Amino acid sequence: MNTNKKTVKKNEIEKAVRKGKDGRAVQKNNSRNSEKNNKDSLTKSPKRDKRRSSQEKRSWKEILYNCPYVLLVSATAIAAMLCSDEIGVNVMAMGESAAAWKTEAGSLADGMEQAEEEMSDQPSEDETHTEGFGDAEAGPEAVSGAVEHSAKDNSGDTEERTDGGAVKPGQTAGQDTADKPGITRFEYYEPQQIDSYYYSDAGRIALTTEYDYVLENDSYFNDAAFLGDSRTLGISDYAGLDGADFYCDSGMTIFKLLGEDGVTYQKTGEKVDMNQVLQEKQYGKIYIMLGMNELGYGNTEMYLKQYREVVEQIRQWQPEAIIYIMANLHVSREKNSPETEFNNININDKNAASALLANGRDIFYLDSNPLFTDEDGFLNAELTFDGVHLYAQHYDVWRQFLLEHGVERR
Amino acid sequence: MLFSSVGFLFRFLPVFMIIYLIVPAKYRNSVLVAGSLIFYGVGEPNFVLLLIFSVLVNYGLSEYMFWEPAGPCKDREKKAVRRRKIALIAALTFDLGFLFVFKYWDFVANTLNGLLRGEYVPLLSLALPLGISFYTFQMLSYQIDCYRGKLEQRARLIEFMAYVSMFPQLIAGPIIRYEEIAGRMRERRIGVRDLENGLKLFTAGLGLKVLLANQIGTLWNTIMTAGAGNLHLSVAWLGAFAYSFQIYFDFWGYSVMAMGLGKMLGFRIPRNFDAPYTSESISEFWRRWHMTLGSWFKEYVYIPLGGNRKGALSTTRNLFVVWALTGLWHGADWNFVLWGIVFFILLVIEKRGLGQWLEQTKVLGHIYTLVLIPITWVIFAITDIRQLGAYLGNMAGIHQDKVMVGTAQFMRYLKEYGILLAACVLFATPYPAKWYHKWKDRWFAVLVLLFIFWLSVHEIIIGSNNPFLYFRF
Repeated sequence: MNTNKKTVKKNEIEKAVRKGKDGRAVQKNNSRNSEKNNKDSLTKSPKRDKRRSSQEKRSWKEILYNCPYVLLVSATAIAAMLCSDEIGVNVMAMGESAAAWKTEAGSLADGMEQAEEEMSDQPSEDETHTEGFGDAEAGPEAVSGAVEHSAKDNSGDTEERTDGGAVKPGQTAGQDTADKPGITRFEYYEPQQIDSYYYSDAGRIALTTEYDYVLENDSYFNDAAFLGDSRTLGISDYAGLDGADFYCDSGMTIFKLLGEDGVTYQKTGEKVDMNQVLQEKQYGKIYIMLGMNELGYGNTEMYLKQYREVVEQIRQWQPEAIIYIMANLHVSREKNSPETEFNNININDKNAASALLANGRDIFYLDSNPLFTDEDGFLNAELTFDGVHLYAQHYDVWRQFLLEHGVERR
Repeated sequence: MLFSSVGFLFRFLPVFMIIYLIVPAKYRNSVLVAGSLIFYGVGEPNFVLLLIFSVLVNYGLSEYMFWEPAGPCKDREKKAVRRRKIALIAALTFDLGFLFVFKYWDFVANTLNGLLRGEYVPLLSLALPLGISFYTFQMLSYQIDCYRGKLEQRARLIEFMAYVSMFPQLIAGPIIRYEEIAGRMRERRIGVRDLENGLKLFTAGLGLKVLLANQIGTLWNTIMTAGAGNLHLSVAWLGAFAYSFQIYFDFWGYSVMAMGLGKMLGFRIPRNFDAPYTSESISEFWRRWHMTLGSWFKEYVYIPLGGNRKGALSTTRNLFVVWALTGLWHGADWNFVLWGIVFFILLVIEKRGLGQWLEQTKVLGHIYTLVLIPITWVIFAITDIRQLGAYLGNMAGIHQDKVMVGTAQFMRYLKEYGILLAACVLFATPYPAKWYHKWKDRWFAVLVLLFIFWLSVHEIIIGSNNPFLYFRF
């Protein structure tokens, strides 16, 4: 061993080179001696080693021949590290693309953004002080103010906001229910500083649109469509709304909803193109619940922009339908992770954004969170296995909630 | 740090391997220790100090065992024996106490408080240091082997540190006994073939973990998400099988990755699994499942208690102790104790005659094993006793709640997971391992492994992009 030390050392370096991660200089240096030094270190027992080294001298070729897999993995890994931001350490490129994305989103969503800021900056005059919801740090300072989306007293001020925020009512529907539109209020609290690309603390929680809802029976869902992700899939599977059409998939997002890949129609189990479906079949009610899979994809501005486009598109295709924007359910305390983007503040940020689209005439915002969350806004641990989805038996409560929020055309 | 993460595969491992291969052989143990501490410390920055502390205390005690005072001394032999005993008892107390405080304190406190109906014992609410059960058991085996004088060469400090903290097996085993790697610890050479075969083995393990365990895990999660009490018999059994596959491929995959990494580092890490689901009895299952843990309990608990040599009653008692402890080792909760006890009962029944009968009728043996093992995994998986009862009830067709996940869902799951389930069944047989050994040097095997590697990386990246890992909502 000792006499071989130098040889061994050389061999190790060469092996490192062969792993393909080392500098070229070493390789050059060694290749001169490789023929001489490359005695076998391939076998484990020293006895065999000796015998071999006297018999044969391995060339580079032979050694390379012995580790094709290491070479292939190393080569592809280096290539991947150079090309892919996911694997490599191409931080510069990552930073640039993120910044580009942000500005793009910013410029596209500018109109919305302004409207949003306006609303969050100026809560309406009849503020009341209530305790923060879903945020322990909010404390008694939290302010709850009602923001009116639609014109309550037809003052010019609120009218403007309506235009900036909510989607305009469809022609027929607008006329039908114009007399007393619902109001979507927010509950305010002191927002936290969040350092994340994906979201910020909205500082407000959207509440179910206030409206003169009617208690319905199951036939209400006979002309209803549900669009959503795995939570909607849960409603489809367990809420017993047999009359309704469910278009949903695990992992569905507002970005993919009208995309080419389609959505699974639960009655047939086949993928359908929502563009086609919504143009061909007229629904009386359309329930949308999307936002969970967007928590770590794009930011809230992009989410709102896309949501708005989708709702406007649906409004165009389905002028008669009542559109329900359903709040994304919070996650449990255990699942809530402030370190990542997977937490209730983010969910709340998305919910508060989507609630801006409600107009109280034919677009309503429904927040079912109070049914299932504890006093801190976390999904009740007893209702869930994974901290995200309800157990099958609790969807009945949800069904009841939906039945209680019927909107009747006059 | 997990093996199946971009950070490990593309940062830690290449950098570590280059340094490890470049440095002279005599520094390799130091590099290994440093690398392992970084590996551990990235995920558990506080517990790495705890690990170092525990290793140092253990090493000190093992050295004290053989410490001889200089100069003439009366009763030298007697004193040496006494010293050895003291050192062993101190080491056992320290290690088991350490494990108890971190892993079992709250469990015992909760149980006592529940029994006494009051808050008599305070809860510590300590987080569980990663891998503590594994490395504590390794240190215990070293101490006991030292005491018994079984070790031909005792470890130097750096060797002992490398033995305990070696990153391939630090967080999920296999549990290695020092004598198994003592020779390699002092002197090892790493050939090109070792790197090649090690990386291939690692890839195979990665595939098992990422492409089988993680994927089939979604089925179990989907079913549990609907609730343990709402399942039709068929769905309940499907879930039990899915979880059985998940836990097997997860653990087996990790063990294979450890073996592969060990090979790349110049060690031979023992095998931990040998196609356990093809066993014909529960006793055979436990000779093939987590083999290093089984032999640990046999060597250090069962045999010292007297094994099966002191009559039937004593054998039964010894089995009970071993299986209650095995249950507790897996987790500090009542369902784990129950899980261990179930195995105790099954093993006693087999020892009393059922085993012989099963050996004669092989098909029945397989069926018997394949029915019982999923049930035991359900006990293992569900910590909440009430839910556990509901799930086991569902498996027997007894329902407290309305069945909400019925045969329609069962068919849907089959459609969605059918191919994956078939792959799981195939990989639960011994054939894939045989094929691997037969063909691993062929060029097409190299390409298949390369494909598996990158497919796994792809899955890992998709999982990490989506912060909810293999849940998709």
